[in-house]
Amino acid sequence: MSSPTEQTFASVHPLHETASPSPKDPQESRRFCIAILGNPNAGKSTLFNKLTGLRQKVGNYPGVTVEKKTGTCELPSGRKVEILDLPGSYSLRPGSPDEVIVRDILLGLQPGTAAPDLLVFVVDATNLERHLYLALQIIEIGRPVILALNMIDLADSHDIRIDQDALEHALGVPVVAISASKGTGLGNLRRLMDRDIAPSTAAFRRWPPQVLRVLRSIDSRLPEREHLSEMGRLDLAMALLLDDGEDDALARIVPPELFDDLRILRQRLDGACPTWRTEEAVGLYEVIEGVMARSVRSTEEKRDVARERIDRVLTHRIFGPVLFVLLMGVVFQSVFEWAAPAMNAIDSLVSGFGRIVEGLLPSGPFRSLVVDGIIAGVGATITFVPQIAVLFFFLTIMEDSGYMARAAFIMDRLMAKVGLSGRSFIPLLSSFACAIPGIMATRTIDSRRDRLTTIMIAPFMSCSARLPVYALLIGAFIPDKRVGFLTLPGITLICMYFLGILAAVFVAWTLKRTILRGGRKLYVMELPPYRMPSWRSVLSTVQSRCLLFLRKAGTVILAVSILLWFLASYPRGGAEVRTLETQAARAQAAGQTERARELESKIAGESLRNSFAGRAGRFLEPVIQPLGFDWKIGIALITSFAAREVMVSTMATVHNLGDAEEKPVSLRQTLRNDVNPKTGLPSYTPLIAVSLMVFFVLACQCMSTVAVAKRETNSWRWPIFMIVLMNGLAWGASFVVYQGGKLLGLG
Amino acid sequence: MKRRAPPAARVLRALDELRPGESSVILSVDGDPQVARRLMELGLVPGTLVQVVRRAPLGDPVELRVRRTHLSIRRSEAELVYVESH
Repeated sequence: MSSPTEQTFASVHPLHETASPSPKDPQESRRFCIAILGNPNAGKSTLFNKLTGLRQKVGNYPGVTVEKKTGTCELPSGRKVEILDLPGSYSLRPGSPDEVIVRDILLGLQPGTAAPDLLVFVVDATNLERHLYLALQIIEIGRPVILALNMIDLADSHDIRIDQDALEHALGVPVVAISASKGTGLGNLRRLMDRDIAPSTAAFRRWPPQVLRVLRSIDSRLPEREHLSEMGRLDLAMALLLDDGEDDALARIVPPELFDDLRILRQRLDGACPTWRTEEAVGLYEVIEGVMARSVRSTEEKRDVARERIDRVLTHRIFGPVLFVLLMGVVFQSVFEWAAPAMNAIDSLVSGFGRIVEGLLPSGPFRSLVVDGIIAGVGATITFVPQIAVLFFFLTIMEDSGYMARAAFIMDRLMAKVGLSGRSFIPLLSSFACAIPGIMATRTIDSRRDRLTTIMIAPFMSCSARLPVYALLIGAFIPDKRVGFLTLPGITLICMYFLGILAAVFVAWTLKRTILRGGRKLYVMELPPYRMPSWRSVLSTVQSRCLLFLRKAGTVILAVSILLWFLASYPRGGAEVRTLETQAARAQAAGQTERARELESKIAGESLRNSFAGRAGRFLEPVIQPLGFDWKIGIALITSFAAREVMVSTMATVHNLGDAEEKPVSLRQTLRNDVNPKTGLPSYTPLIAVSLMVFFVLACQCMSTVAVAKRETNSWRWPIFMIVLMNGLAWGASFVVYQGGKLLGLG
Repeated sequence: MKRRAPPAARVLRALDELRPGESSVILSVDGDPQVARRLMELGLVPGTLVQVVRRAPLGDPVELRVRRTHLSIRRSEAELVYVESH
């Protein structure tokens, strides 16, 4: 792992020399790590992509849902370094999980991640004033810093002239002008990254004396932190003072006896210097105004005419929402339609591959495991990839171009009614196609509680997998009558979609008032300038989303598929099945293909009824009887955990119909004519069909949703809560529908 | 671009009372200290010139322009930012 060049480097770098002379020290064999950081929209990711090419890795920080992006880069000297792309951040005083991570890494509080050896701070040269805020905070903590003035080409065209020498002098760190998207100045940046940058020693903030005294006294009671300057240590003390006790990383480093004292110190400061909490912002902007005056010459602020023109249309009172709805229509339709051919292709490839394997392996439990368990499970996982790819293609373009913030701006009012923000709208809309990409799209929501709420309500949106179920039940039981300009089946379908939305509103409203209450008090959001998205970064985002899904959620989906296969195949059929099998073989030999097929269907039905899933269906019957469901539906409820549409094929198999796709009409007929042997009455009625559809709207019956929720929340707590909540609601609602319907004499 | 608020007492106005297109100078940021600090970190420091650019189609939030940055801020938050009254 440690190449000769790295060792040479390690021996010349002062940090490594002083750290430990022992060659076994892990610090020494660790690669030199450079963190890229800055405000959101500064162009960090573009720079990261340019520096690392495709040599990057995406993961999560332990215990949180913040994405960790790392890559490697070769510097002009041939030295290979690790590049860490930190999430966008506005301040070292965190307001979101992303910002907590940035602060923890920089102050050395993040477990498992050593403080980076060098920081490349990226600023948008056209927006220097605001971006300097975090830059000054970062420079002060005393790490080696390079300031990259990004989008220098845009600044030039806006007549913003930045005096680099003056800026360097004012900030006390090397400054390099670049354009990450055009690739200019990157050579200079790389050469600078190769040099030995000294830790910065600049100090900008002047704390009021009372505040300074308190900060010093806190600092003296904290363990030594050698990588921080004095200002950095005071910064940490300030972070402790400002913290309201919810910050885990800070709580970990506070000695217990200091904890109570902090409260007293805070109260004392409130009396002595009431503005101590905001003093820092006022002071830093004063410094920034000085820096700007000395190093930036811009003729009278030139307005961004293009931006104004675009915004006048896109956020117009009428055109804005109309265009948004149209655009959403295109996105939604694309997830539905563009992905469909790819999904069908994957489907037929997988089943084709399954048939080939079937031909190669001898008949028996092993073949069944490989074909019906593993290959079908892998197929189930990868059929989601086209939808994820299409959705993220659009989402990334919207995000990178700056439109996403406008969409949130337009939708915020509506979503605020249930306690969410505009950012939740698109993930929820995507969930009408499929909750998997929808839940993955919640990453753009910066408030943790809003994001969890959105993840919890996304599966209530009627996804495309529910359609076959609705189609079967509506086709079989809802009379095709005209009602005004609509038909009864159409109205039923619309009602199912609305029921899901209603449930989502109810759950979001409840969650935001109970377990996910509070958290964020501020919904301020930046509306960035419009930028042309780069295809390279769009494609690389799409690719990394798909791979992440396959790697993390795919494994769970595969495991559950195999489990479900096992439940539906074992124990193998008893004496009755064996008799049927001999009959079928005889019929086949006699050339009675029709009869043989009929027997095959019977065997499949008998095997399923006899399997663990079949027995569980019977076992479940008392629980679901009050909803009007019999044990056959019980089996379908279990098997449809693989994917909701499996319900249709299970109902076909259990009624001895074999492959449902070939005979949808006969399945409808069978369901209508099925008679309960105990009562002599029809097994299924329109009321039962409605009750069952209501159940499918609300119940959590999709292992892939559960797997992706586990992956995105980084814990089993939320997905388990999701299963309990959704299935509880489903049972309750179906109970009300069925029992209420019976009372009204509809059953 | 920015001018200091004169010390003379003036009538305060909340930022959400500004009509789209109107500008004024921030005098103070009220409310929860954490919220106030965040708004100030984003540039809404007393003495700064701020413009209400537009309201969202449904009337909330509002778009602000401050220190060359555009921010979207809910009216409930804009109520806490006091500006000079002309």
